[in-house]
Amino acid sequence: MSLFTDHPRTRWAAPAAAVAVIGAVALTANHVASADPSLPSRSAAQLLVDVQQANLKGLSGTVVQTSNLGLPDINLGGSTQGGSSSLTSLVSGTHTWRVWLAGPQQQRLALVGSLGESDVIRNGRDLWVWSSKDKTATHTMLPAEGAKPGAASTTPGQLPKTPQEAAQLALSAIEPTTSVETSGASVVAGQQSYDLVLKPKDTASLVASVRISLDTVHHVPLRVQVFSTKTANPAFEVGFTHVDFAKPAARQFAFNAPPGTKVTQSTLGSDVGGTNGTASRAPGTASEAKPGSAPADTEPKVVGAGWTAVAVANLPKDTAGATKSGAPGGTASEVTGQLQRVLGLLPKATGSWGTGRVLEGTLFTVVITDDGRVAIGAVGPERVYAALASK
Amino acid sequence: MSVAEAELAGTSHAPGIAALHPRRRRLSTRLLRSELRIIAGRRRNQAGLLVLAAVPIVMAIAVKMSTPRAGEGPDFLSSITSNGLFVPLAALSVEMAMFLPLAMSMLSGDAIAGEANLGTLRYLLTVPVNRTRLLLVKFASLCIGAVWGIAAVALPGAAIGIALFGTGPLTTLSGSQIGFGAAVWRLVLVILYLAAGLAGLAAVGLFISTLTEVPIAAAIALMVFTILSWILDSVPQLGWLHPWLLVDHWLAFGDLLRDPMAGGEIGRGLLTAAGYAVVFWLAAWARFAGKDITS
Repeated sequence: MSLFTDHPRTRWAAPAAAVAVIGAVALTANHVASADPSLPSRSAAQLLVDVQQANLKGLSGTVVQTSNLGLPDINLGGSTQGGSSSLTSLVSGTHTWRVWLAGPQQQRLALVGSLGESDVIRNGRDLWVWSSKDKTATHTMLPAEGAKPGAASTTPGQLPKTPQEAAQLALSAIEPTTSVETSGASVVAGQQSYDLVLKPKDTASLVASVRISLDTVHHVPLRVQVFSTKTANPAFEVGFTHVDFAKPAARQFAFNAPPGTKVTQSTLGSDVGGTNGTASRAPGTASEAKPGSAPADTEPKVVGAGWTAVAVANLPKDTAGATKSGAPGGTASEVTGQLQRVLGLLPKATGSWGTGRVLEGTLFTVVITDDGRVAIGAVGPERVYAALASK
Repeated sequence: MSVAEAELAGTSHAPGIAALHPRRRRLSTRLLRSELRIIAGRRRNQAGLLVLAAVPIVMAIAVKMSTPRAGEGPDFLSSITSNGLFVPLAALSVEMAMFLPLAMSMLSGDAIAGEANLGTLRYLLTVPVNRTRLLLVKFASLCIGAVWGIAAVALPGAAIGIALFGTGPLTTLSGSQIGFGAAVWRLVLVILYLAAGLAGLAAVGLFISTLTEVPIAAAIALMVFTILSWILDSVPQLGWLHPWLLVDHWLAFGDLLRDPMAGGEIGRGLLTAAGYAVVFWLAAWARFAGKDITS
């Protein structure tokens, strides 16, 4: 104490030390995630076999999705102050999901906003979409044979005989365009995981690499990171920050619309766009079309193949119908008006293909021509112009 | 540190001193009680509490007279009609932005600078009260003041809400319903969580209060700090900074109203508040213990 009495200025060491300790703890908490080096190395094929043989009873956890797609801030969902829970706000920023899975029949996703929440709950044949902000619930009866297995990545029926065969099939399918390698291990949500890295062989692609982290024990993908050639940080990342592999209680999947809720009964024909939120869509499979919602004249034409494929489509007259039908928050005409306004903000481009607006993201480029065509691809604008010109 | 000071502080750091005084006095709460009496007795504090309590009452009456449609107005406002407990929640989500930090600014501005301004600080220290102990007591009284301020919103709000809208089951943000008892428990957790956030802010205010002898300057400075934090929190390009801002975690109290409750963000909010409290209390200590008290 005499030091502090004789030299009062030394007292400032105490708050400085506190700041240093807090900073050090925060830094190590982020970097303590060093993988166990004694993990046996696995080949890509082995990892894929593991994933297929995964026998997951259920899991619950928190998923954080960060996207830095280089898009202008489009507020389709109205006011989005402080982390929106609206399902239409997924295009930019950081979003937190809470996830519960218990087999193929029971899934629940909750998009967490600051003082709100949107839930997608599937329990057997019941599919509920709940929004706390406007107190609405949409109920859909699914057909008896589960059409959409939600977040589970199994597609029964068309599987090859053995998982090994399937893994080889999958690898050979992407082999011409993609180099697949395993690059050591990492720690995701406190779990040791193997990293599977996919790299496009065509360097014209804006995608530098896709890194998938697979849990070493339960063989579940815990994180997907998509790196752009433009930025060092992942342009898109979705991954667990916390995961628990115990089967969640059945009551997590029971949803009864609370009193005072506006309940909409929906038939499957006008399917809700909220369930395909998982990022496990494999690129280069040429199925860029939204299933079931695209009329014949808007069927896209695909120019090129693999990672540098560019999809060219005609815009429907009602622009809003393309993507956001059934999404809560905003009627179709409102959305159209917003889209027009956003389009006006984009830079103009001219070429042999005509004139239009260009949206250059970190992972893809979109060109919307003045004559109502839209071209999108994970390539720079030149390739998109070329694809438009080739039409 | 003199022997008398160590004894008064209620703790004996050096073993030699403890040996001299084997019969240790237990921690006296007299200073804290007198501090709380002063805070409660000030007319301006009483008026502030009335303003805080008026907001939920106005909200409840307004909702009673015209039912708002879902998705309009402040958060939770449209839920009030289903359960009276949403009155305090809606009021807290509105008042947490400005009113409650303003109340904290008044209290913490008075803490040291107010005493110095009135000329009572030197008498307080000649009692004699160890300066470290004085700072501890001041901070403890500010923490109690934080709970007090939030209770001044929540309790009248709950009372009028229950009186006007009854005690039906409460609909959580996840769309499930919980019983009234569980809902009260959630409200208590919200009160405690927000009080912890305000206590972190109070430590900043205590530090500012040691820098000046003008209480209004200290109060304004803390208000500026709060508003600046909100502005920084609203700039998306500063996303890396947001987890370090005290105010960024306040609205996470909504996580306590989910089913099941989400703990992660709440935990980070409490850690941030604790970090602010430790750092700024120590800064206040470094500043105050070496300061010449002239008034």
